[in-house]
Amino acid sequence: MNIIHLILGLFLAGIAAYGIGRLKPAAASWLTLAASWAALLILFLGGDTLAGGNAWGLLAFKMTPLGWFFSMTLLFVYSTNTFFNLSVPAAPTRQAAYPMLYLISLASTIGVFSAENWLALFIFWEIVLWSSTFMIGFGKPGRGSIIYFGMSLLGSFMMLFAILVMGTAYQTFEVKGALMAAAQSPGPALLVFLLMLFSAMVKLGITPFHIWMPEAYHEAPDHFAPVLAGGLSKLGAFTALMVTSFLPASTLMAQPWQVRGLPLLTYILLTVSAVSIVIGTLMAIKQEDAKKLLAYSSVANSGYIMIGMLMGTPMSVSGALVHLLAHALATTVTFMVMAAVARQTGTTRMDELGGLLHRMPITFLAFLTAILSLVGLPPMLGFVSKWLILQSLASQGLFLVAAAAIFGSIGSLLYAFRILSTVFLGQLKPKHRQVREAPAVLLIPLLLLSGVTLVLGIYPYGLVQYTAKIENSLGFADTVQITGLSIQGNNGNLNALLIMGAFAIGFLIALGIFLKAPKSRKVDLMDTYTGGEFIYSPELYSYSTNFFAPLERVYAGLPEISRLYEALANRVRDLGTLVQYLFFSPLPSRTALLISVVTILLIWGEAI
Amino acid sequence: MPKKERPSRFHPVSHTMQTVEVPTEKISPQEQAEAWEKIAHYFRANSLWMLNYCTGCCAIELPLVMTSQYDMERLGMMPMATPRQADILLVTGYASLKTLRRLIYTYEQMGTPKYVVAFGPCAVNGGIYHDAYAVLNRLDLYLPVDLYIAGCMPKPEAVMNGFKRLIELIESGQATGWKDYERRFDWYKSNQLEAVGEVYIHDEFHE
Amino acid sequence: MNALQSIGTGLGMALFGWLLQTTISGVTRKVIARIQKRRGPVWYQNFRDIMKLLNKRSVTHGWAFDFGLLVALAGAIGTAMFMPVAGIVAFKGFDNFFMIIYLAALGVFGRALSSGSSGNPLATIGVMRGLTQNIGYKVPYMLLVIALISYYRTSSISEIVELQRVSGWSVLVMPLGFVVAFISLHGMLGKKPFDTYLAPAEIASGPLVEYGGKQLGILMIAHELSVFIEVSLFVNLFLGGGATLPEFLLKYAFIYILSSSLGAVMGRFRIEQVVRFYYKVPIALTIVQILMLAVMRGGVR
Repeated sequence: MNIIHLILGLFLAGIAAYGIGRLKPAAASWLTLAASWAALLILFLGGDTLAGGNAWGLLAFKMTPLGWFFSMTLLFVYSTNTFFNLSVPAAPTRQAAYPMLYLISLASTIGVFSAENWLALFIFWEIVLWSSTFMIGFGKPGRGSIIYFGMSLLGSFMMLFAILVMGTAYQTFEVKGALMAAAQSPGPALLVFLLMLFSAMVKLGITPFHIWMPEAYHEAPDHFAPVLAGGLSKLGAFTALMVTSFLPASTLMAQPWQVRGLPLLTYILLTVSAVSIVIGTLMAIKQEDAKKLLAYSSVANSGYIMIGMLMGTPMSVSGALVHLLAHALATTVTFMVMAAVARQTGTTRMDELGGLLHRMPITFLAFLTAILSLVGLPPMLGFVSKWLILQSLASQGLFLVAAAAIFGSIGSLLYAFRILSTVFLGQLKPKHRQVREAPAVLLIPLLLLSGVTLVLGIYPYGLVQYTAKIENSLGFADTVQITGLSIQGNNGNLNALLIMGAFAIGFLIALGIFLKAPKSRKVDLMDTYTGGEFIYSPELYSYSTNFFAPLERVYAGLPEISRLYEALANRVRDLGTLVQYLFFSPLPSRTALLISVVTILLIWGEAI
Repeated sequence: MPKKERPSRFHPVSHTMQTVEVPTEKISPQEQAEAWEKIAHYFRANSLWMLNYCTGCCAIELPLVMTSQYDMERLGMMPMATPRQADILLVTGYASLKTLRRLIYTYEQMGTPKYVVAFGPCAVNGGIYHDAYAVLNRLDLYLPVDLYIAGCMPKPEAVMNGFKRLIELIESGQATGWKDYERRFDWYKSNQLEAVGEVYIHDEFHE
Repeated sequence: MNALQSIGTGLGMALFGWLLQTTISGVTRKVIARIQKRRGPVWYQNFRDIMKLLNKRSVTHGWAFDFGLLVALAGAIGTAMFMPVAGIVAFKGFDNFFMIIYLAALGVFGRALSSGSSGNPLATIGVMRGLTQNIGYKVPYMLLVIALISYYRTSSISEIVELQRVSGWSVLVMPLGFVVAFISLHGMLGKKPFDTYLAPAEIASGPLVEYGGKQLGILMIAHELSVFIEVSLFVNLFLGGGATLPEFLLKYAFIYILSSSLGAVMGRFRIEQVVRFYYKVPIALTIVQILMLAVMRGGVR
C-alpha cells in the first residue's frame, strides 16, 4: 500500500459513488464514509513513513512529516464530516455528484500534500478547487461559489506563474528542490516568494483576499461547510509553510531594512496578517448570521496561522501548526453544530434562534468545547497554540502585531459569546419547543472532534513533539523543546496538564461549596426579573439583534474591502460593454472592422 | 370593592403568635442542622439586602435612612436591584389593586428566607386611604408581614428602630413569615385571587 | 510529595487571596463610607454577606446556569493558585502571565455562560457591556505587559518580581505605562466610571440580575478571587511585588483602596464612551511609552 494506491483508490471510490448514487443515494453516502475512514486508517497506520511512489515516471509522491500532519488533519475533518453526508435529506438528482466530488477532493488533498512535483501539486490543487466549487454550488442560491472560484482562480494563476518561473529559472519542478534553488540564487526568487505566498493567502483568506470566505461558507450546503472551513482553507497554509521555510524572506531581503531583526518584507506581510485578524474580528462581531460570523472568525484565525509561519522561529511555527489543527477541529465542530441546528430548526440566523441549550444539550457541549478552543481558553487546544504564538510575539517584541493578536484574542471572546448566547442561551422560542436533540449519527462526529480538542488541550506534548519533528524535516536549526511535561518557551514554560489540574481542583472545591449549600428551586426560563412586569412573549424577550451595537457604532465607518472588488468588477464590465459596442454589434461594417483588425494583428504578429 | 370581613381561619402572622416547632427527638444530624441554623440566623440578621417596592409616600423616608445622616449600611443593610438578590421586601405604603399583583410576583421571586416590612398605617388598615376604591386595606391578608413600622410617615428614627427590631427578630429565629406563607399558601392565594381577580389581557403580545 | 506540597501551597494561596480580598473589600466599604460622611459596615461585612448567601435557598434556571458558575469559581481558584505573593509561588516556573490571563478569562467566560443561560435579556445586555468594556481595557494593558515581558525577557511573574528587585520597579521603567495600566485596572475592577456592565439603575445589575442565594455567594467568592488576581498581578508587574508580606499587603491595599476611592467620587460613562476613551488616551499613551522605551534604552529587545 503506498500513497498512489491510496489516492487512486479514493478516486475510484468516488467514481463508483457516482454510479451508486444515481441508483441509491444513501448507499453512496455510506461509501464516502467507508472510503474516507479506510483512508484515515491507512494513513494513520502508515505514519509519515508511508511508502511513496512514482506513477508512470511522471507523478512522484513522497510522504513527509509536514504532509502527513496536513493529510491527517484534513482526512480527519473529511471523514468525521461523512456522518453529516449520511444525514442529508433526499438529495435532488443533480446532487448525485456530491459523493463523487467529495471523495475526489479528498483524494486530491492527499495528492497536494504528498506531491514531489510542483506541476502535480498544482493539478491536484486545481481538482480540489473545481470539485469544491461545484459542492458549494449545491447549497443556497447566490454568487458564493462564483466568488470562491474567481478568487481561487486568481490564487491559482499566481501559483502557476510562480511554478513556471521556477521551472524556467532553475530547470526543476521538484517541490523542495526548486524552492531551495531559488533560495541559493537571487534572480526571480522574490517574485516566486510573493506569488506563492499570495496564492496561499487567497486560500487561507488573509485580508485583501478574504471576501470569498463569508459568501462561500454561508452558501455552501450545511453538510459541506465544515470541510470547506475546517479543511480546505488549510491547503494554503501548506504551501505557505513550504515557501517560508525553504525560501525564507531573510535570504531574499535581509538588506537593506530590518524591523526588529526581521526583514522589512516579512514585517509588511506580518502587518497584513495582523490587519486580517483585526478585520476578521470586527466583521465577525457585527454579523447577524451564525455561519457568516464563523466565516469571519476563520479570517481572523488564518491571520494567527500566517503570523506564526512568517515569524519563522521554531516556537512560532510550532504555534502555527498547532493552531492550524486547533482551528481545523474547532471550526469544523462549529459548522457541524450549525448544520445540526439548521437541520433541526431550519435556520442559522441568530435572531431566530435561542435557548437551544435546553433542547440540544449534547450539541451545546460540543459547541462550547469548540468555541472555547476558538477563543483560546484553557483547557482546550486553542490555548496551547495561542500561548505559543503570543510567546513568540513577545520575545520578538513585535508590538503592532502583538496588539492585533491581543485584539483578535479578546474580540473572539465577544463574537464567541454572541453566537453562544443567541443560539444556545437566552429564551427558547415557542416555535422551537418541540425541537429534538440531533440524531446520534450527527453527535458521533461532534463528540469525536470536541473530544480530541479537549484531550489534546490537556495533553498536547505528543502533538508539539511532532511539530518539532516537522520543523526538523523543514530544516530548522533548532526546534521547540519539551522537557517532561512542560513546553519550553522563549520566556516561560507551559504545563497544560498542570493548568488542567489546577482547574480541576478549583472545580472540585466549587462543586463542594455548591452541593453543601441548600438546594435551589428550578424555575422556568420566563420566570425572570422583569421589574414586576408580566411578560408572556418569549420570542420578544431576548437580546440578539444588533448585539454589540455600542461597539459597532465606534467602527461603523470602516470601509469594506468588497466595495473595492465591486468597483473593479464594474470597470471590467464597462470595458466589456465597450468591446461589445465596438465589435459585436449587428452592423456588418463593425464586424468587418473587427475581422480586419484581427487579421492585421495576426499578420503583424507573424512578421515579428 | 366590598369591605373584607375578618376571616375566621385567619391567624395573625407568626412572629407575634407562633413559635418554631422544636423536634423532640435527639438526632445528631438534626441537632447539627439546628446549631447551624442558629449561626445562619446570625449571618442573615447582619446582612440584610432589601428591595424597596416604593408603593406609597413612605418611600421618601428611605433616602435619609440610606445616606449619611442615618447610614443603614452600619447594620449591614444595602439596597439591591432585583428580588433574586434581596432578603427584605419593603412595602412603603398602601398596596393598590395594580401594585398588589406586582408585589406578589416580586415576593415569590425572592429566595428564602425572606422578610416583608410594611411601612405606615396604610399597610395595616388602609390609613388615610382606607376608603379609596383601589386601595387594599390589609396587606397581611396577601403577604406575610414580619414587621410593621408605625407613623404616617414613619420618621427615619422609627425606620432605623424598626430595622433593629427586625434584626433582633431574625437573630432569634422569630421572623418566619416566609414559612407561614409556604404553610398557608392556599389561604394566601385565595385571598390574593379574591382581591385582584383574574386578569385577561388581549393584545398582540399576549395571545 | 513535592507535587502535593505545591498543590497545598497553591490552595493556601487561593484561600489567602480570598481572605485578603474579602477583608480589604470590607475595609474599602468603610473607607468609601467615610468619603461619603457615613460610618459604614464592619470590616468583616463581606464575609457575613457571603455566608448569608450560601445559607439562602434560591432559584436555578437549568444546569448551564449552575455549571457556568462552577467554571467561574474553578477558573478563579485555579488562577489564584498560580499567583506569586511576596516570594511565595506554588508552581515555580509556571506562573506565566499569558496563562494567568487566559485561565482567568475562562472564569469570565463561565460567568458569561451562566448569566446568559438565565434567559433574562438584562443579563445578556450586561455581559455584552462587560465584554465591550473588556476589549477596551485589555488591549492597552496586555500591550504594556508584552512590552514588559520583552524588556525583562521572561513572562514568569515571580521572575519579573525578582528582576525588579535588582533594577528598580517597572513603574520607573515605564511611568506612562503605569498610568495606563492603572486606568486599565480601574476598568478591570469595574469601578466607576467603568461600571457600565453593572449599572443597577439601568439594567438591574446586569449579569447578576438573576442570581440569589448560593449562586450569588459563589459568584461573590469568584469575584473576590478575580479581584485578588487582578490587583496582585498589577502590584507584581508594576510595583515590584514585595519582598515581605507586609510590603506586599501595603501596596495591595493602597492600589485597591485608591481605585475604589476614585470610583466613589465619579459618575458613570456610557458604554461607547468607555470604548472611545480607552482607544484614544490609553492606547496613545501606550504607543508613546513603547517608543520612549525603544529610544531611551536602545530598543526593547
